[in-house]
Amino acid sequence: MSQVEKKAGLLRRTSSSKKPLKEKVVLMYDEIFAKEDPAKNNPRFWDELFLMKVNLEYLESKLESVDGEEVQRIQDNINSLFHHCVQALGEEHQIKVVNALQTLCALFRGVHQKNKSASGFDIINMLMGFDKAEQRMKDLMERLDSLLCGDSSESLKSLCLKLLLCLVTVTDNISQNTILEYVMINSIFEAILQILSDVSSRGQHGYDAVVLLALLVNYRKYESVNPYIVKLSIVDDEPTLDGMGMVVHQALAEYNRQYKDKEEENQGGFFSTLTSMVGSMFIADADEKLSVQTNEAILLALYEAVHLNRNFITVLAQSHPEIDIAATPTTPTPTTPTTPLGTTPPSLDMMNNPELPLDPNLQTSNLLITFLKYASIVMQDTKDEHRLNSARLCLIILTCIAEDQYADAFLHDDNMNFRVTLHRMPMRHRKKTVGKNIPSRPLVCAVLDLMVEFIVTHMMKDFPMDLYLRCVQIIHKLLCYQKKCRIRLHYTWRELWSALINLLKFLLSNETTLLAKHNIFHLALLIVNLFNMFITYGDTFLPTSNSYDELYYEIVRMHQVFDNLYCMVLRVSTNAGQWKEPASKVTHALVNVRAIINHFNPKIESYAAVNHISQLSEEQVLEVVRSNYDTLTLKLQDGLDQYERYSEQPKEAAFFKELVRSISLNVRKNVSLNNLSQDVLLKEFSTIS
Amino acid sequence: MADAEVSLSPALQPLHLSPSHSAPPPPPASSSPTTFSCPSSPSSASSSSSSSSSSSCSESSSDCPNHHSHRHHHHHHHHHHPRPQLQLPPPPHGEQPSSPSASPRSSSPSGSIGSTGSIASSSASEGIGSGVSSGGDQRGPSPLLDVISEDAMEMDLGVDPVIDPEVALKACQEVLLKVKMLDNKQQQDDQNQQQQHCADIPERCSPQWHINAETSSIREEDENEDEGPRDAATAAKTYQDPPSSAGLESSSQATSKQSWLLRLFESKLFDVSMAISYLYKSKEPGVQAYIGNRLFSFPDSEVDFYLPQLLNMYVHMDTEVGDAIRPYLIHRCKSSITFSLLSAWLLGAYSSDMHISTQRHSRGTKLRKLILSDELKPAGPASEAPRSASGSVSDSPLSSPPHRRCHRRHNSSNVEPSTSVCSVPDSPDQGEVFVSPTRRTHQRSKSDATVASSGPGASLRRTGSNPKVEAVHEEPERLRPQREFVKSLFGIGKRLATLPTKEQKTQRLISELSLLNHKLPARVWLPTADHQHHVCRVPHTQAVVLNSKDKAPYIIYVEVLECDSFETSPVPARIPETRIRTARSAENLDCGTMANANSSSMTSEHRAGSFSTVPNYDNDDEAWATDDIGQLQVEGEAQTSSSDNISQFSVDSITSLESKEPVFIAAGDIRRRLSENLAQTPTSFKRDPEDPSAVALKEPWEEKVRRIREASPYGHLPNWRLLSVIVKCGDDLRQELLAYQVLKQLQSIWQQERVPLWIKPYKILVMSSDSGMIEPVLNAVSLHQVRKQSQMSLLDYFLQEHGSFTTEAFLTAQRNFVQSCAGYSLICYLLQVKDRHNGNILLDSEGHIIHIDFGFILSSSPRNLGFETSAFKLTSEFVDVMGGLDGDMFIYYKMLMLQGLIAARKHMEKVLQIVEIMQQGSHLPCFHGSSTIRGLKERFHMSLTEEQLQLLVEQLVDGSMRSITTKLYDSFQYVTNGIM
Repeated sequence: MSQVEKKAGLLRRTSSSKKPLKEKVVLMYDEIFAKEDPAKNNPRFWDELFLMKVNLEYLESKLESVDGEEVQRIQDNINSLFHHCVQALGEEHQIKVVNALQTLCALFRGVHQKNKSASGFDIINMLMGFDKAEQRMKDLMERLDSLLCGDSSESLKSLCLKLLLCLVTVTDNISQNTILEYVMINSIFEAILQILSDVSSRGQHGYDAVVLLALLVNYRKYESVNPYIVKLSIVDDEPTLDGMGMVVHQALAEYNRQYKDKEEENQGGFFSTLTSMVGSMFIADADEKLSVQTNEAILLALYEAVHLNRNFITVLAQSHPEIDIAATPTTPTPTTPTTPLGTTPPSLDMMNNPELPLDPNLQTSNLLITFLKYASIVMQDTKDEHRLNSARLCLIILTCIAEDQYADAFLHDDNMNFRVTLHRMPMRHRKKTVGKNIPSRPLVCAVLDLMVEFIVTHMMKDFPMDLYLRCVQIIHKLLCYQKKCRIRLHYTWRELWSALINLLKFLLSNETTLLAKHNIFHLALLIVNLFNMFITYGDTFLPTSNSYDELYYEIVRMHQVFDNLYCMVLRVSTNAGQWKEPASKVTHALVNVRAIINHFNPKIESYAAVNHISQLSEEQVLEVVRSNYDTLTLKLQDGLDQYERYSEQPKEAAFFKELVRSISLNVRKNVSLNNLSQDVLLKEFSTIS
Repeated sequence: MADAEVSLSPALQPLHLSPSHSAPPPPPASSSPTTFSCPSSPSSASSSSSSSSSSSCSESSSDCPNHHSHRHHHHHHHHHHPRPQLQLPPPPHGEQPSSPSASPRSSSPSGSIGSTGSIASSSASEGIGSGVSSGGDQRGPSPLLDVISEDAMEMDLGVDPVIDPEVALKACQEVLLKVKMLDNKQQQDDQNQQQQHCADIPERCSPQWHINAETSSIREEDENEDEGPRDAATAAKTYQDPPSSAGLESSSQATSKQSWLLRLFESKLFDVSMAISYLYKSKEPGVQAYIGNRLFSFPDSEVDFYLPQLLNMYVHMDTEVGDAIRPYLIHRCKSSITFSLLSAWLLGAYSSDMHISTQRHSRGTKLRKLILSDELKPAGPASEAPRSASGSVSDSPLSSPPHRRCHRRHNSSNVEPSTSVCSVPDSPDQGEVFVSPTRRTHQRSKSDATVASSGPGASLRRTGSNPKVEAVHEEPERLRPQREFVKSLFGIGKRLATLPTKEQKTQRLISELSLLNHKLPARVWLPTADHQHHVCRVPHTQAVVLNSKDKAPYIIYVEVLECDSFETSPVPARIPETRIRTARSAENLDCGTMANANSSSMTSEHRAGSFSTVPNYDNDDEAWATDDIGQLQVEGEAQTSSSDNISQFSVDSITSLESKEPVFIAAGDIRRRLSENLAQTPTSFKRDPEDPSAVALKEPWEEKVRRIREASPYGHLPNWRLLSVIVKCGDDLRQELLAYQVLKQLQSIWQQERVPLWIKPYKILVMSSDSGMIEPVLNAVSLHQVRKQSQMSLLDYFLQEHGSFTTEAFLTAQRNFVQSCAGYSLICYLLQVKDRHNGNILLDSEGHIIHIDFGFILSSSPRNLGFETSAFKLTSEFVDVMGGLDGDMFIYYKMLMLQGLIAARKHMEKVLQIVEIMQQGSHLPCFHGSSTIRGLKERFHMSLTEEQLQLLVEQLVDGSMRSITTKLYDSFQYVTNGIM
């Protein structure tokens, strides 16, 4: 048997090398595209077909070239081909299964390329026939499901996933892919979960499975009931969720690693680092496949998991060494059962795999840390559209995290300290911080650092207003949690205050240009209200009494900015116009800040006068502040600690639609690339069996 | 009479059971094979499987070629049986029946066949066996002692708490005789009744065993079901031995010396401490054997205290002692997983000092292996455990001279009458009295039988496929979960030790523990706890690495759920980490299905909305706090959330609220509140990456419990408790255990003598010679940490923590400090505790000091640098806290020490004994040299008058005060280890 196969393989190779001679499979395709039923003359036609190596290009181009009338003519044959493909999936012979999978792939793609304009129903009719479509797709999905869940070869499982990815991405807009309706009815969600829960299969197919899931969840997300959304939201199996987290973690970590390598490479020339790094770093390299684009898919998956599934939040904090634990599934022997404690089946079974890698240089990490590092890289440059999208998605994910009580709990957990080395944009006026000096702190400090970093580095003409809003809102949400839970975070709040004040300054100085595109008053209001949080509720979450004094010091020191802001908003709000309303809100919000400035400034001046000091030291100012609190009255503003919860619909719907479209395109591209390499795979099979 | 004795000694029950039946077989009965099953009759009367038990009995005997004669021999001289078996490489007799594997099956018959040697010897003793009837009379005095001593004791109680044994002997001599007569009569009656009863049984069951034998040899699971009965059978077999020994005994004389000793043993004053002492000191096998039996009568908890001593004796002393203790150990192991594991761990640890392949060595390790092989399952349906255990008293190696054994038999059988009475079905009222202990065991074994019936194989398979079946409390193996738990904790410790920094260690610890969490809850427990519980979660982020130079001891907090019985209560179900989330997701599902049902009435837009419109924070918080995650509540919450969403404040709301009356606040108030809040929060230590434990340990325990409970998915359960434990890996804790025992003993002595010395013995678990666990002292940080964090003197720290000099709080703390200082000064002096730097002295939140780390005690001291020559550590800082040298409190301190020393002196034996026994075979550094015990004894200064003692205390205090070595040692520690 195997010898025959080998022989056939050899023959094929020689025959294919001679171009003029048509491959047998091509001849058979031609037969399908003829009017006649190919099985009429050769009853074993379909059997033979799936023993032939698939010629994807030919089949696809053939399908593409079929025009409208021909379709009618050959529809029966194509339906028959589809039907036999599905049948062949049940074959014992793996070669047949592989060929059938690839043929199906070609069918889906070819039909869609041809019928770009045609409605989905035409496609379904052409492939399966209206009357049989439901049954055919049911069979197909069931076969795929059993292939994915069974103990078939890994390459075969991989092919199944590729086929599914291919099917899901054949249209630019996933929601227009009507065939997916059948994928909704015949869910393969469980198969995906199973892949993710198993350590070894996760390693090999996890990425595809996660991307597939992310895409399926986005099918008609806003228009209909998507069972994948419902199912994803209720998964509570820890190994599965961990598995999903692990896949995301690995993809992001891989990106981070590549970035770091490149950064080190570029560090060769000191000067080039300063000048070209920011710019050239992100001009898409040919070998940067893994980076921006595909990671959008992974980010989307992370987002859906965080947003939909409440249990997934725990996975974020699930710490593990930076490297995935070597997965050697142990076979249960009577003496050492796999579940020694008799509870959950082991996934990261440290009792069977007691050897976690023991590299002392290895930092313990978790998904959140990796994500934060990734975000710090992505956010550095937002000029490229993909990066802008990624940065936005990162901030959306952070928003969801900041809103989650459980996530907040571990973000602020004083016992979970980590050193998180965020990537900082090299800028002329600051030194590149050496990562080793970063102290080990609660994770929320890293989030705040990231926000401060973003605020400081994106004050540019092409102002990313949307990202700024999200950024400030994330900070606000974290402050609300700290206020509510009375958590006194030992954070250098001063950095945040000065970053925010600088941002206000930037808004003021670029008022005219910015106002043309954005509602800067909304952002200004959010910023001022952050200060109001500190002013009125500082007693509940500031770490030291001194930090409250410092807040006043910072406000008084930068009073010019607030004064100018007040003048500006007062001016705008007195004029009639579209900004009247939002500007007047800012004037009201400024009431306490102004009170502070008006209260302390004269005091400081008189102190200087009395003591004959021209330049007061910080300590002296603080002293004045401390001794003059009691004569200052503040107004309690309502709703400072309230915020609007994140909601994907309707605000973000358009963004996600576009994002999914771009991901689809990207995945489609990569899947087709992979298909070529499946020839190798095919050979592997032919030699094995 | 009989009534009285029965009711008086219910605790003796398990002990009585064994020898009693075999006791005085009257001639006619003894010759009839029916008596063979007699022993099982009492329990079989109450147990449904009695028939099978006796049937399997006959099964084993049937393996014997000369069936009949062997059987005959069985009931006469069963004590010979176990003997040869002991020599067999497979575990001895008692363990065979419970082994699930095939090997015991084969070994069990071979055991009886292999006893050809014993047949020979038994046939030799046959003649004596027939003399049993007469022996019954001669044996009289000893069994009756049981009775008499009770009477004697009552008398004693009236007269004098201290028994003069000789006086007591004389006084009771007459009574003794009388009772003997009486009792013998009754005994014989009982015997007759018993035999009549028993005669029925084998006949009833004999057909059954055929089936049993066949099936069980084919199918393993069946065999498991057989276990109980077969166990019963062996129990029955062994159980018969004593009579013949009693017969042999008849030839030896019960000396008068023995009898007064026995009378002391029977007195109420005879406690565990004395028992252990006599067990250790007496060279008389009879006495040893008697005490071995007597152990059954003490409450488990009292004996448990001396478990290290018992096991050390078992490992290191001669066979007689070992044989005397063994039945008790086996019995306890069968009835308790906890005891099994504790024993196994200690046996391993105490055997470690021996030379490999010594005979003694093999005894300790053999028992350990036996326990760990999990063959000591609770006996089958009938309450065989105690009986088979005491039955194996007869498991004596051939080497032991027979007459010696006879002595022992004699003694062990002296409690027989009472048992035989109680076990006779005809005396219901007495039976009632006795029922309580018996029934308890019975029930337990019954439930365990169901466990056993599932068989290791079966439960393994089941757990493999669906772990949730576990809820029906079937265990893969009895001891496995706990052992795995402990193993993984030590695995973590070992791995941590390889990491260079504390920070990395702590991070790794947290991540490792989070993996461990995946396997909880399980049938595992912390042996340091007082209550029965199951471990349900390890709040991994709370764990912290402790200060140690090259090892990685760490402290973990463990959430447990208390339960009635660790062994039989079902293991609690796992609750996901984000409990409330599950409910939320379910709500989402409902939305989804509802939307499905209504086709398109509810669009996914709404649904998507509902995902994100989780209620505002306050609601959310409530949802977290509430324990009930019922669907209704969640739905209600979802409703409020949606309405809330509409009215939700946003930052925009400022303008809308403008119309409202503005509220003004003073900036000064905010600032004041901030400093007040900060001042109110108990002074916490600053996080120090080099000393991660300081913060964790400083946090008040109550606070920690509350915090962890709030964050735990199990926190809402009423039986939730938080425990903590220090896991030490790479350290030998045997000395710590010894110190704990001494401290505990002294503590109870001082309590008894009403001396207000304060010490805090913390529990130690020795798990091997280089690993173990320690119960952490709650609310305590080391003086080193106090110094480093507060940067102030100890007195100033006291003032900061407790208030100024005159406050109640300070005075209380000061008194606590003085009482604990006095306590530990004495401890340090008596035990010669060295290495007293500030890292090894804790200060708790009430002002007590607590010494930890007893790595250098008695004859060992750290290096030989000549440091720490003072008797104990008393720095000027300490004296300052006490109010200076002239203060009342300092005088009080010295007075306390004197009182404490006097009290300790009074009970010196109790303390000495603990140490002395542990010296046996030990290579621990604290026993280095030959004068350890002598030195210890001398430090009690038995010869000094109280005045002289007072002088001694003055001298000690003075010496310690003036000693610059303490100071020197501290600076030495600072230089070498960075400890202040």
